[in-house]
Amino acid sequence: MKRMLVSAIALVGLFVAFYLTLYKMGYIVQLTCSIDGCERVNSSKWATFLGLPVAVWGMGFYLVTFVIAYMGTLRRWARDSRISTVLLLLTGFGVLYSAWLTYLELYVIHAICQYCVVSAILVTVMFVISLLDWRDSRKWNSHQEI
Amino acid sequence: MAKNNSPQASSSSKRGPFLAVLLVIVLFGAGTILFKKNSSTDSHGDHSALEDLKGQYENAGPAQPYTLGDSTAPVLIEEFADYQCPSCAQYAIITEPDVRKRIIEPGLAYYKFYEFPLPMHKHAPAASLAAACANDQNKFWDMQYQIFYGQDQWGIGPNGREVVSNPKPVFKTFAQAVGLDIAAWESCYDSGKYNDRVAANAAEAVRRNVQSTPTFFINGKMHMGALTYDAMKKLVDEAAKNATSSADSGR
Repeated sequence: MKRMLVSAIALVGLFVAFYLTLYKMGYIVQLTCSIDGCERVNSSKWATFLGLPVAVWGMGFYLVTFVIAYMGTLRRWARDSRISTVLLLLTGFGVLYSAWLTYLELYVIHAICQYCVVSAILVTVMFVISLLDWRDSRKWNSHQEI
Repeated sequence: MAKNNSPQASSSSKRGPFLAVLLVIVLFGAGTILFKKNSSTDSHGDHSALEDLKGQYENAGPAQPYTLGDSTAPVLIEEFADYQCPSCAQYAIITEPDVRKRIIEPGLAYYKFYEFPLPMHKHAPAASLAAACANDQNKFWDMQYQIFYGQDQWGIGPNGREVVSNPKPVFKTFAQAVGLDIAAWESCYDSGKYNDRVAANAAEAVRRNVQSTPTFFINGKMHMGALTYDAMKKLVDEAAKNATSSADSGR
Protein backbone atom coordinates (compact mmCIF):
# COMPACT_ATOMS: atom_id res chain seq x y z
CA MET A 1 0.00 0.00 0.00
CA LYS A 2 2.80 2.41 0.88
CA ARG A 3 4.61 1.70 -2.36
CA MET A 4 1.36 2.20 -4.25
CA LEU A 5 1.11 5.64 -2.69
CA VAL A 6 4.72 6.44 -3.57
CA SER A 7 4.25 5.35 -7.19
CA ALA A 8 1.01 7.34 -7.55
CA ILE A 9 2.66 10.47 -6.11
CA ALA A 10 5.70 9.96 -8.36
CA LEU A 11 3.36 9.83 -11.35
CA VAL A 12 1.81 13.16 -10.34
CA GLY A 13 5.33 14.57 -9.95
CA LEU A 14 6.25 13.26 -13.38
CA PHE A 15 3.50 15.39 -14.93
CA VAL A 16 4.50 18.47 -12.95
CA ALA A 17 8.10 18.08 -14.13
CA PHE A 18 6.91 17.37 -17.68
CA TYR A 19 4.89 20.58 -17.70
CA LEU A 20 7.87 22.58 -16.44
CA THR A 21 10.09 20.97 -19.07
CA LEU A 22 7.70 22.01 -21.86
CA TYR A 23 7.62 25.49 -20.37
CA LYS A 24 11.39 25.71 -20.13
CA MET A 25 11.87 24.43 -23.66
CA GLY A 26 9.43 26.97 -25.04
CA TYR A 27 6.59 24.65 -26.09
CA ILE A 28 4.28 26.46 -23.72
CA VAL A 29 4.72 30.18 -24.25
CA GLN A 30 2.55 32.74 -22.58
CA LEU A 31 3.00 36.36 -23.49
CA THR A 32 2.32 38.19 -20.27
CA CYS A 33 2.78 41.62 -18.85
CA SER A 34 3.20 40.74 -15.21
CA ILE A 35 5.92 38.31 -14.50
CA ASP A 36 5.05 35.41 -12.28
CA GLY A 37 7.52 33.67 -10.05
CA CYS A 38 7.86 30.65 -12.32
CA GLU A 39 9.21 32.69 -15.21
CA ARG A 40 11.79 34.26 -12.97
CA VAL A 41 12.76 30.97 -11.31
CA ASN A 42 12.75 28.99 -14.54
CA SER A 43 14.85 31.55 -16.37
CA SER A 44 17.42 31.84 -13.59
CA LYS A 45 20.82 30.23 -13.89
CA TRP A 46 19.87 27.65 -11.26
CA ALA A 47 17.14 26.23 -13.52
CA THR A 48 19.86 24.38 -15.44
CA PHE A 49 22.06 21.66 -13.97
CA LEU A 50 24.91 20.00 -15.91
CA GLY A 51 23.59 21.43 -19.15
CA LEU A 52 20.05 20.13 -18.73
CA PRO A 53 17.02 21.95 -17.32
CA VAL A 54 16.36 21.00 -13.70
CA ALA A 55 12.84 20.08 -14.84
CA VAL A 56 14.31 17.36 -17.06
CA TRP A 57 16.29 15.97 -14.12
CA GLY A 58 13.04 16.12 -12.16
CA MET A 59 11.29 14.07 -14.84
CA GLY A 60 14.04 11.48 -14.68
CA PHE A 61 13.85 11.38 -10.89
CA TYR A 62 10.08 10.92 -10.83
CA LEU A 63 10.19 8.35 -13.61
CA VAL A 64 12.81 6.22 -11.84
CA THR A 65 10.98 6.56 -8.51
CA PHE A 66 7.69 5.62 -10.17
CA VAL A 67 9.14 2.54 -11.89
CA ILE A 68 10.88 1.29 -8.74
CA ALA A 69 7.88 1.93 -6.49
CA TYR A 70 5.59 0.29 -9.06
CA MET A 71 7.87 -2.74 -9.27
CA GLY A 72 7.69 -2.89 -5.48
CA THR A 73 3.93 -3.31 -5.70
CA LEU A 74 4.25 -6.40 -7.90
CA ARG A 75 3.90 -9.76 -6.16
CA ARG A 76 7.42 -10.73 -7.15
CA TRP A 77 9.09 -7.86 -5.30
CA ALA A 78 6.44 -7.13 -2.69
CA ARG A 79 8.70 -8.31 0.13
CA ASP A 80 11.96 -7.21 -1.37
CA SER A 81 13.57 -4.92 1.16
CA ARG A 82 16.08 -3.67 -1.42
CA ILE A 83 13.22 -1.77 -3.07
CA SER A 84 12.49 -0.04 0.23
CA THR A 85 16.13 0.92 0.67
CA VAL A 86 16.45 2.28 -2.87
CA LEU A 87 13.21 4.26 -2.50
CA LEU A 88 14.39 5.70 0.81
CA LEU A 89 17.73 6.76 -0.68
CA LEU A 90 16.14 8.18 -3.83
CA THR A 91 13.46 10.20 -2.06
CA GLY A 92 15.94 11.27 0.63
CA PHE A 93 18.16 12.69 -2.08
CA GLY A 94 15.06 14.30 -3.64
CA VAL A 95 14.19 15.99 -0.35
CA LEU A 96 17.71 17.39 0.05
CA TYR A 97 17.81 18.64 -3.53
CA SER A 98 14.33 20.21 -3.24
CA ALA A 99 15.38 21.88 -0.01
CA TRP A 100 18.38 23.40 -1.80
CA LEU A 101 16.15 24.63 -4.66
CA THR A 102 13.60 26.07 -2.24
CA TYR A 103 16.41 27.85 -0.38
CA LEU A 104 17.56 29.38 -3.72
CA GLU A 105 14.02 30.48 -4.53
CA LEU A 106 13.47 32.12 -1.17
CA TYR A 107 16.83 33.69 -0.45
CA VAL A 108 18.68 34.06 -3.75
CA ILE A 109 16.18 34.38 -6.62
CA HIS A 110 13.51 35.96 -4.36
CA ALA A 111 10.68 34.38 -6.33
CA ILE A 112 8.58 31.31 -5.76
CA CYS A 113 7.40 29.00 -8.50
CA GLN A 114 4.25 27.24 -7.38
CA TYR A 115 5.07 24.12 -9.42
CA CYS A 116 8.40 23.83 -7.65
CA VAL A 117 6.63 24.11 -4.30
CA VAL A 118 4.22 21.36 -5.37
CA SER A 119 7.19 19.23 -6.38
CA ALA A 120 8.96 19.81 -3.06
CA ILE A 121 5.82 18.79 -1.15
CA LEU A 122 5.37 15.66 -3.29
CA VAL A 123 8.99 14.64 -2.72
CA THR A 124 8.68 15.18 1.02
CA VAL A 125 5.50 13.10 1.25
CA MET A 126 7.14 10.35 -0.82
CA PHE A 127 10.13 10.42 1.51
CA VAL A 128 7.98 10.07 4.64
CA ILE A 129 6.05 7.15 3.13
CA SER A 130 9.29 5.55 1.93
CA LEU A 131 10.68 5.86 5.45
CA LEU A 132 7.63 4.02 6.84
CA ASP A 133 7.97 1.39 4.11
CA TRP A 134 11.65 0.99 4.92
CA ARG A 135 10.80 0.55 8.62
CA ASP A 136 8.30 -2.17 7.65
CA SER A 137 10.90 -3.86 5.47
CA ARG A 138 13.24 -4.15 8.42
CA LYS A 139 10.48 -6.00 10.27
CA TRP A 140 10.12 -8.48 7.38
CA ASN A 141 13.84 -9.07 7.48
CA SER A 142 13.82 -9.75 11.22
CA HIS A 143 10.88 -12.15 10.76
CA GLN A 144 12.77 -13.94 8.04
CA GLU A 145 15.83 -14.27 10.26
CA ILE A 146 13.70 -15.93 12.95
CA MET B 1 -4.65 -3.23 7.76
CA ALA B 2 -4.01 -6.05 10.20
CA LYS B 3 -0.38 -6.75 10.90
CA ASN B 4 -0.56 -10.40 10.05
CA ASN B 5 -1.88 -9.69 6.55
CA SER B 6 0.80 -10.58 4.07
CA PRO B 7 1.87 -7.68 1.85
CA GLN B 8 1.15 -9.83 -1.19
CA ALA B 9 -2.46 -10.38 -0.21
CA SER B 10 -3.10 -6.75 0.57
CA SER B 11 -1.39 -5.71 -2.68
CA SER B 12 -3.53 -8.00 -4.82
CA SER B 13 -6.78 -6.88 -3.27
CA LYS B 14 -5.93 -3.24 -3.92
CA ARG B 15 -4.46 -3.72 -7.37
CA GLY B 16 -7.63 -2.77 -9.27
CA PRO B 17 -8.27 0.54 -7.46
CA PHE B 18 -4.52 1.29 -7.57
CA LEU B 19 -4.34 0.92 -11.34
CA ALA B 20 -7.53 2.98 -11.65
CA VAL B 21 -5.91 5.77 -9.61
CA LEU B 22 -2.80 5.67 -11.83
CA LEU B 23 -5.02 5.88 -14.90
CA VAL B 24 -6.89 8.88 -13.48
CA ILE B 25 -3.57 10.62 -12.77
CA VAL B 26 -2.36 9.98 -16.33
CA LEU B 27 -5.60 11.24 -17.88
CA PHE B 28 -5.79 14.28 -15.63
CA GLY B 29 -2.12 15.16 -16.11
CA ALA B 30 -2.18 14.77 -19.89
CA GLY B 31 -5.45 16.71 -20.10
CA THR B 32 -4.12 19.60 -18.02
CA ILE B 33 -0.93 19.85 -20.08
CA LEU B 34 -2.89 19.77 -23.36
CA PHE B 35 -5.22 22.46 -22.07
CA LYS B 36 -2.30 24.67 -21.00
CA LYS B 37 -0.60 24.13 -24.32
CA ASN B 38 -3.72 25.05 -26.27
CA SER B 39 -4.39 28.12 -24.19
CA SER B 40 -0.95 29.41 -25.17
CA THR B 41 -1.71 29.05 -28.88
CA ASP B 42 -3.53 31.49 -31.10
CA SER B 43 -6.98 31.18 -32.66
CA HIS B 44 -5.63 29.05 -35.50
CA GLY B 45 -4.50 26.59 -32.87
CA ASP B 46 -1.34 25.57 -34.70
CA HIS B 47 1.06 28.31 -33.68
CA SER B 48 2.14 29.62 -30.34
CA ALA B 49 1.30 33.27 -29.69
CA LEU B 50 4.95 34.17 -30.18
CA GLU B 51 5.21 32.26 -33.47
CA ASP B 52 2.16 34.13 -34.69
CA LEU B 53 3.78 37.46 -33.85
CA LYS B 54 6.94 36.39 -35.65
CA GLY B 55 4.89 36.01 -38.82
CA GLN B 56 3.17 39.33 -38.26
CA TYR B 57 6.44 41.25 -37.92
CA GLU B 58 8.38 39.37 -40.57
CA ASN B 59 8.74 42.41 -42.84
CA ALA B 60 9.30 45.04 -40.16
CA GLY B 61 12.37 47.20 -40.68
CA PRO B 62 15.23 47.76 -38.24
CA ALA B 63 14.25 48.77 -34.70
CA GLN B 64 14.29 52.48 -33.84
CA PRO B 65 14.29 52.69 -30.04
CA TYR B 66 13.99 55.94 -28.07
CA THR B 67 17.22 56.80 -26.33
CA LEU B 68 18.37 58.60 -23.24
CA GLY B 69 21.84 59.50 -21.99
CA ASP B 70 25.36 59.18 -23.26
CA SER B 71 25.78 56.63 -26.04
CA THR B 72 29.41 56.03 -25.01
CA ALA B 73 28.46 54.97 -21.45
CA PRO B 74 29.93 51.58 -20.49
CA VAL B 75 26.54 49.95 -19.91
CA LEU B 76 23.54 49.70 -22.21
CA ILE B 77 20.12 49.25 -20.65
CA GLU B 78 17.37 48.26 -23.06
CA GLU B 79 13.76 48.15 -21.96
CA PHE B 80 10.90 46.39 -23.75
CA ALA B 81 7.57 47.58 -22.41
CA ASP B 82 3.87 47.57 -23.16
CA TYR B 83 2.03 50.80 -22.37
CA GLN B 84 -1.06 48.95 -21.20
CA CYS B 85 0.84 46.63 -18.88
CA PRO B 86 0.44 47.47 -15.18
CA SER B 87 3.89 46.26 -14.18
CA CYS B 88 5.46 48.40 -16.92
CA ALA B 89 3.58 51.40 -15.54
CA GLN B 90 4.77 50.53 -12.07
CA TYR B 91 8.37 50.51 -13.28
CA ALA B 92 7.91 53.73 -15.28
CA ILE B 93 6.35 55.62 -12.39
CA ILE B 94 8.27 54.32 -9.40
CA THR B 95 11.67 53.19 -10.63
CA GLU B 96 12.48 54.89 -13.92
CA PRO B 97 12.81 58.43 -12.52
CA ASP B 98 15.45 57.16 -10.09
CA VAL B 99 17.22 55.18 -12.80
CA ARG B 100 17.31 58.29 -14.96
CA LYS B 101 18.61 60.57 -12.24
CA ARG B 102 21.10 58.26 -10.57
CA ILE B 103 22.27 55.99 -13.39
CA ILE B 104 21.70 57.64 -16.75
CA GLU B 105 22.36 61.30 -15.97
CA PRO B 106 25.71 60.58 -14.24
CA GLY B 107 26.74 58.70 -17.40
CA LEU B 108 26.78 55.18 -15.95
CA ALA B 109 24.48 53.80 -18.63
CA TYR B 110 22.83 54.53 -21.96
CA TYR B 111 19.11 53.79 -22.18
CA LYS B 112 17.04 52.45 -25.06
CA PHE B 113 13.28 52.04 -24.88
CA TYR B 114 11.37 49.76 -27.24
CA GLU B 115 7.60 49.46 -27.22
CA PHE B 116 6.18 45.94 -27.36
CA PRO B 117 2.38 46.09 -27.55
CA LEU B 118 1.19 42.65 -26.45
CA PRO B 119 -1.63 41.10 -28.49
CA MET B 120 -4.07 41.00 -25.58
CA HIS B 121 -3.82 44.75 -24.98
CA LYS B 122 -6.24 46.49 -27.33
CA HIS B 123 -5.04 50.06 -26.82
CA ALA B 124 -1.29 49.38 -26.50
CA PRO B 125 -0.54 50.09 -30.21
CA ALA B 126 -2.45 53.41 -30.03
CA ALA B 127 -0.58 54.37 -26.86
CA SER B 128 2.72 53.52 -28.57
CA LEU B 129 1.74 55.77 -31.48
CA ALA B 130 0.70 58.60 -29.15
CA ALA B 131 4.14 58.53 -27.51
CA ALA B 132 6.01 58.15 -30.81
CA CYS B 133 4.25 61.27 -32.13
CA ALA B 134 5.43 63.24 -29.10
CA ASN B 135 8.99 62.35 -30.11
CA ASP B 136 8.55 64.62 -33.16
CA GLN B 137 8.39 67.50 -30.69
CA ASN B 138 11.19 66.13 -28.48
CA LYS B 139 8.75 65.29 -25.71
CA PHE B 140 8.79 61.54 -25.97
CA TRP B 141 9.85 60.86 -22.39
CA ASP B 142 7.32 63.31 -20.91
CA MET B 143 4.52 61.77 -22.94
CA GLN B 144 5.67 58.25 -22.17
CA TYR B 145 5.52 59.05 -18.45
CA GLN B 146 2.06 60.63 -18.79
CA ILE B 147 0.67 57.64 -20.66
CA PHE B 148 1.95 55.25 -18.00
CA TYR B 149 0.95 57.51 -15.13
CA GLY B 150 -2.58 57.88 -16.49
CA GLN B 151 -2.91 54.21 -17.45
CA ASP B 152 -6.06 53.84 -15.34
CA GLN B 153 -7.81 56.45 -17.54
CA TRP B 154 -7.49 54.44 -20.76
CA GLY B 155 -6.15 50.98 -19.89
CA ILE B 156 -7.82 47.98 -18.30
CA GLY B 157 -10.30 48.70 -15.53
CA PRO B 158 -11.25 46.55 -12.55
CA ASN B 159 -13.64 44.50 -14.70
CA GLY B 160 -10.77 43.34 -16.91
CA ARG B 161 -11.83 45.46 -19.88
CA GLU B 162 -10.52 48.72 -21.34
CA VAL B 163 -12.17 51.65 -19.56
CA VAL B 164 -12.64 53.57 -22.83
CA SER B 165 -13.43 52.29 -26.30
CA ASN B 166 -11.39 55.01 -28.02
CA PRO B 167 -8.33 56.18 -26.06
CA LYS B 168 -7.51 59.14 -28.33
CA PRO B 169 -9.34 61.84 -26.28
CA VAL B 170 -7.44 60.67 -23.17
CA PHE B 171 -4.10 60.73 -24.99
CA LYS B 172 -4.98 64.20 -26.26
CA THR B 173 -5.36 65.48 -22.71
CA PHE B 174 -1.92 63.99 -21.94
CA ALA B 175 -0.49 65.75 -25.02
CA GLN B 176 -1.90 69.00 -23.72
CA ALA B 177 -0.53 68.36 -20.24
CA VAL B 178 3.03 67.93 -21.53
CA GLY B 179 2.71 71.03 -23.70
CA LEU B 180 2.68 69.53 -27.19
CA ASP B 181 1.54 71.37 -30.29
CA ILE B 182 -1.81 69.60 -30.40
CA ALA B 183 -2.54 70.08 -34.11
CA ALA B 184 0.80 68.58 -35.10
CA TRP B 185 0.49 65.74 -32.61
CA GLU B 186 -3.06 64.98 -33.75
CA SER B 187 -2.19 64.87 -37.43
CA CYS B 188 0.71 62.52 -36.67
CA TYR B 189 -1.55 60.32 -34.54
CA ASP B 190 -4.42 60.25 -37.04
CA SER B 191 -2.16 59.41 -39.98
CA GLY B 192 -0.50 56.58 -38.07
CA LYS B 193 2.84 58.08 -39.06
CA TYR B 194 4.86 55.92 -36.70
CA ASN B 195 2.97 52.64 -36.93
CA ASP B 196 5.96 51.16 -38.78
CA ARG B 197 8.35 52.31 -36.08
CA VAL B 198 6.16 50.70 -33.41
CA ALA B 199 6.01 47.49 -35.44
CA ALA B 200 9.78 47.52 -35.96
CA ASN B 201 10.42 47.90 -32.23
CA ALA B 202 7.92 45.15 -31.44
CA ALA B 203 9.62 42.97 -34.06
CA GLU B 204 12.89 43.46 -32.20
CA ALA B 205 11.19 42.18 -29.02
CA VAL B 206 9.99 39.10 -30.86
CA ARG B 207 13.44 38.52 -32.37
CA ARG B 208 14.94 38.59 -28.89
CA ASN B 209 12.32 36.21 -27.56
CA VAL B 210 10.81 38.67 -25.12
CA GLN B 211 7.85 36.89 -23.57
CA SER B 212 6.75 39.24 -20.86
CA THR B 213 6.90 42.94 -20.21
CA PRO B 214 8.80 44.73 -18.94
CA THR B 215 11.93 42.88 -20.00
CA PHE B 216 15.34 44.47 -19.69
CA PHE B 217 18.61 43.70 -21.41
CA ILE B 218 21.62 44.98 -19.53
CA ASN B 219 24.64 44.79 -21.80
CA GLY B 220 22.73 42.15 -23.71
CA LYS B 221 21.75 40.01 -20.71
CA MET B 222 18.02 39.42 -20.29
CA HIS B 223 16.22 40.26 -17.03
CA MET B 224 12.48 39.79 -16.84
CA GLY B 225 10.06 41.77 -14.72
CA ALA B 226 9.89 45.25 -13.24
CA LEU B 227 13.27 45.66 -11.58
CA THR B 228 13.58 47.79 -8.48
CA TYR B 229 16.12 50.62 -8.47
CA ASP B 230 18.48 48.66 -6.22
CA ALA B 231 18.30 45.59 -8.44
CA MET B 232 18.92 47.70 -11.53
CA LYS B 233 21.87 49.51 -9.94
CA LYS B 234 23.44 46.23 -8.88
CA LEU B 235 23.10 44.80 -12.40
CA VAL B 236 24.48 47.97 -13.98
CA ASP B 237 27.46 47.96 -11.60
CA GLU B 238 28.16 44.30 -12.38
CA ALA B 239 27.88 44.93 -16.13
CA ALA B 240 30.22 47.94 -15.86
CA LYS B 241 32.74 45.85 -13.90
CA ASN B 242 32.61 43.07 -16.49
CA ALA B 243 32.95 45.56 -19.34
CA THR B 244 36.04 47.10 -17.70
CA SER B 245 37.67 43.76 -16.91
CA SER B 246 37.10 42.42 -20.43
CA ALA B 247 38.50 45.67 -21.90
CA ASP B 248 41.57 45.31 -19.64
CA SER B 249 42.16 41.71 -20.60
CA GLY B 250 41.84 42.70 -24.26
CA ARG B 251 44.79 45.05 -24.01
